[in-house]
Amino acid sequence: MNRITRTFAQILIGMLLCLSATRGHGQDARLQLANLDKLSDKAARVTDVTLDGSLLQFAVGLIEKINDEDKDVEQLKAIVKNLKGIYIKSFEFDEASQYSKADVEAIRTQLSAPRWSKIVQSTDKRHNEHDEIYLLKDHDRVAGLVILVAEAKELTVVNIVGDVPVDKIAAMEQHFVPGQKEAGRNKQKKENKHDEE
Amino acid sequence: MHFSEDDLREALKRKDPGSGFTQRVMARVEQAKTEGKTEPAVKAKAKKNNGFLAWWTLRPAWIVAVAAVLLLGFGWAGYQYSEYRHAEEMKVAREKQEKLRQEAEKARDQAILALEIARAKMNHVLQHAQLPAGPNDKIRRQRL
Repeated sequence: MNRITRTFAQILIGMLLCLSATRGHGQDARLQLANLDKLSDKAARVTDVTLDGSLLQFAVGLIEKINDEDKDVEQLKAIVKNLKGIYIKSFEFDEASQYSKADVEAIRTQLSAPRWSKIVQSTDKRHNEHDEIYLLKDHDRVAGLVILVAEAKELTVVNIVGDVPVDKIAAMEQHFVPGQKEAGRNKQKKENKHDEE
Repeated sequence: MHFSEDDLREALKRKDPGSGFTQRVMARVEQAKTEGKTEPAVKAKAKKNNGFLAWWTLRPAWIVAVAAVLLLGFGWAGYQYSEYRHAEEMKVAREKQEKLRQEAEKARDQAILALEIARAKMNHVLQHAQLPAGPNDKIRRQRL
């Protein structure tokens, strides 16, 4: 009896470990950004977006319900279809050097190889700008994306979890929100006209 | 029990009613007449008592009627209450649905905002990295 109980306990522990490992693997693409919260007091403008779980599903459901055969709406649907979470923290400051290197390093340490790959890096020492894009690959699919923009008066971390169609995001139109699109286009036309003058 | 002939003869033999028998009989007759006059009053009293207690004799019918009225009353009240509860539940459900819809719309707007920020920042980084940004750029797409 004891032997059987022990075997069952071992199997159960093994299953739990496997489950937790799988769960951990799935959550790897989400960064811990809580250390940046302290910057909210110093920042002139804060953008904080946390969309995951049921809330994101609601959003995806609503976006998928948009009855618009517009190419951009279709593109939007394709982008959000396989997303699991969107987390953004963006701080804009009135003065330079309001955040420390340690704040940025705390993000970078979570983006270590081999899982994360830095696909783009841009450094401008004259303006103290360090911009990076990281991708998390899961076999041949993208499992996460991080855009880190660290400038003199701005610190932005965009963390998208899930199968992110990177090329589609970059190619998105600026004003694709239904109803706002026309307004955006008109605004762009006005801007272009103004530039021509 | 057996009676002998002598016993029967003794029992059935004529007896003297005693003196004043006729007077006694007549007195009884008078008394009976007097009682006969008062009989209707007694009967009326009895009738009155019966009328007052008549409902008691109809007890089952009354009980059924009262029960039916109570049943109808409680049934109507219960129906009204259930209708009220249903209306309240529907109201709460509608409010909840409206709240969910608002949350979903907010989430949709947030998702769109987030994707716009992601797009803007990505193109910003690509421009800074001197990778031309734009929908038709093949080099950038290949690098990504």
